[in-house]
Amino acid sequence: MVVTQKREEKHLVLTLEGRLDTTTAPQLEEVLKSSLGGVTHLTLDLAKLVYVSSAGLRVILGAQKQMSKLDGMVVKNVNETVMDVFEVTGFKEILTLE
Amino acid sequence: MRKTFQKWLFLFVVVAFIVTFCISFSIESRQAKGNAVGLIRLKMEDARKQIVVNRENIATVRSIVDAAALAKARAFAKIVALQPSVLKRGEELEDIRRRLDVDELHVSDERGILIADIPAEYIGYDMAASEQSAEFLAALHDPNFALVQEPRRKGISGEMFQYAGVARTGTPGIVQIGYHPKRLQAAVEVADIANLSAGFRIGKSGKIIVGEAGKIVSIDNPAFLGKSLKEYGFSDKQLRRGESEFVANLQGVRYLCLSSSYEGYKLIGILPLSEMYVGRNEMGLFLVVCNLILFAVVFALVSVLVQRVVIDGIYSVNRSLERITQGDLNERVEVKTNNEFVALSEGINSTVTALKEAIAEAAARIDAELEVARAIQRSSLPGAFSSFPGRDEFDVYATMGTAKEVGGDFYDFFLIGENRLAVVIADVSGKGIPASLFMMTTKTLLQNLTEAGASPERVFSEANKYLCENNEIGMFVTAFMGILELDTGRFTYVNAGHNPPLFRKAGGRYSWLKSPPGFVLGGMEGTRYRERELLFQAGDRLFLYTDGVTEALNLQEELFSDLRLEETLNADVAREMDVTTLLKHVQSEIDRFTDGADQADDITMLGLEYKGKVKG
Repeated sequence: MVVTQKREEKHLVLTLEGRLDTTTAPQLEEVLKSSLGGVTHLTLDLAKLVYVSSAGLRVILGAQKQMSKLDGMVVKNVNETVMDVFEVTGFKEILTLE
Repeated sequence: MRKTFQKWLFLFVVVAFIVTFCISFSIESRQAKGNAVGLIRLKMEDARKQIVVNRENIATVRSIVDAAALAKARAFAKIVALQPSVLKRGEELEDIRRRLDVDELHVSDERGILIADIPAEYIGYDMAASEQSAEFLAALHDPNFALVQEPRRKGISGEMFQYAGVARTGTPGIVQIGYHPKRLQAAVEVADIANLSAGFRIGKSGKIIVGEAGKIVSIDNPAFLGKSLKEYGFSDKQLRRGESEFVANLQGVRYLCLSSSYEGYKLIGILPLSEMYVGRNEMGLFLVVCNLILFAVVFALVSVLVQRVVIDGIYSVNRSLERITQGDLNERVEVKTNNEFVALSEGINSTVTALKEAIAEAAARIDAELEVARAIQRSSLPGAFSSFPGRDEFDVYATMGTAKEVGGDFYDFFLIGENRLAVVIADVSGKGIPASLFMMTTKTLLQNLTEAGASPERVFSEANKYLCENNEIGMFVTAFMGILELDTGRFTYVNAGHNPPLFRKAGGRYSWLKSPPGFVLGGMEGTRYRERELLFQAGDRLFLYTDGVTEALNLQEELFSDLRLEETLNADVAREMDVTTLLKHVQSEIDRFTDGADQADDITMLGLEYKGKVKG
């Protein structure tokens, strides 16, 4: 998986590309841990994310929880496969999707 | 590294080259100058000697000529004394002059008046009348008088002419002869200082310049004869020096000069710098060429040697280390070009061997621990399916194929009292020991709450609350639970983010029991779960599973998928199978599909068939 960061002042945009599963979830977790300092608004761009497993959902949930105390988190460009997972797991209800 | 090495080597070679060249150049320069000064000094010494020799020659010739002249004068005086008559006879006098080989003969009386002469026009001339002849008057009183005068220049030709005279014998008077001292003139001409320069070349184009009172009296180029030394290019300062060497720019050429004073002459030996340095320059060129070749060879040799002995070895070791780093612990380093590399290779090899052994050991230990964890996990699940002896209202069966890693799937079914059967299937996010502990907690929670009599939605709400409170690592679990009332067939279920199960009416086809799920357990505090109901009739079936089923991958990385699962369940061959056989069939279809590919996730399935209320 490739994580691309784009920072505009307090707004961080992370573009995820590839598979977000048990193997790659720690990578995203690490990026979040090191880059969220001073960030109040987070956007996850999932246009190129082809798969998300429960381990990946866990990291997304963690970010959602962390950002909900600030200006929030937006998930955008969710494709059909990933949206299916969000639907089945109820994530669709708790995430701000665009 | 090779670049760095070559850079330094190159630098060293260049510096060595420059230093060597500078030292040689300086030594050669000094030597060239020393040689040149020596050469000039030698020539000047010769020139000085030549001046001395010339003067001595002249003196010798002069004394011979003087002696001869006096002898002739005395002989003539004797003839006049013996034969005074010759004075009267011009032919005899002329004959005597010829025999004496002189040009003039003069004889005076006791008063110094000439009485006989050749040429005859001087007869009657008073010798006191001119300074030159007056010198001889002393002979009138001194019978022993003898004088040879200094030669004088005479006439337009400037030829030398000389007079010698003695007192007359027996009577007062003067006998004088006049002649061209040809030998003396020749000797003087030879000894002329103007000829000195022509006799002494220094090297190829060096020369000696002679000055006298600031004027050039001898030089190779006649155009400068008589000109001043300053005009030629020497400065006052240079001319004022005593014997010393200096560099002067003369007529556009730079010369090394050595000046010295001698007998009123200023001798200056000069040699063009270009000629003085011609040897050094040739030597320098030779040195440059030789050094360039030598250093190029050294550079190439050392470079090649280092490349072969050190760098190739290091690259080879690095390549091996890279393969080792990438996980190939069977790689061996075999660089044997020299002892150091042999030691290094052996060191690396033994380290890798030790590492391999340590890893194998650790892996074995971890495997053993995981096996224990798996066993514990498995033993916590209901396994013996004869656990409901005598219950004919339902048939339930479940399987769990664990992946290599300890996963977080689990299933459960248990009776609540006599009339209710609970079924659970769940999947914890993540893997490993943490996931399996989280799973155990969840399973126990759900069972306890259910057995305490809570409704499914309340069970999930309570379990969620508890799991959220004690969840530092942010794990969550997707779960589906349903409770079947065995007498009525009423099935109450709740879903927390889990894959919806497939339901089949007796004799019908399986289809998904789709309903908006609640959020996962342990994900968000205060999540509300909504119960739904379904009425089972005899022969109706429910198939629960985790995503390990639909996301099983084959070697081409294709998913088993919802579609294949649906097709497998609805295939004709599966239609009459009981739930136990059905689950085994689905498993074998999955195995057939994956065809030996690694199983990434737990594969868990649970089948439930309602057989209807027992009659009687």
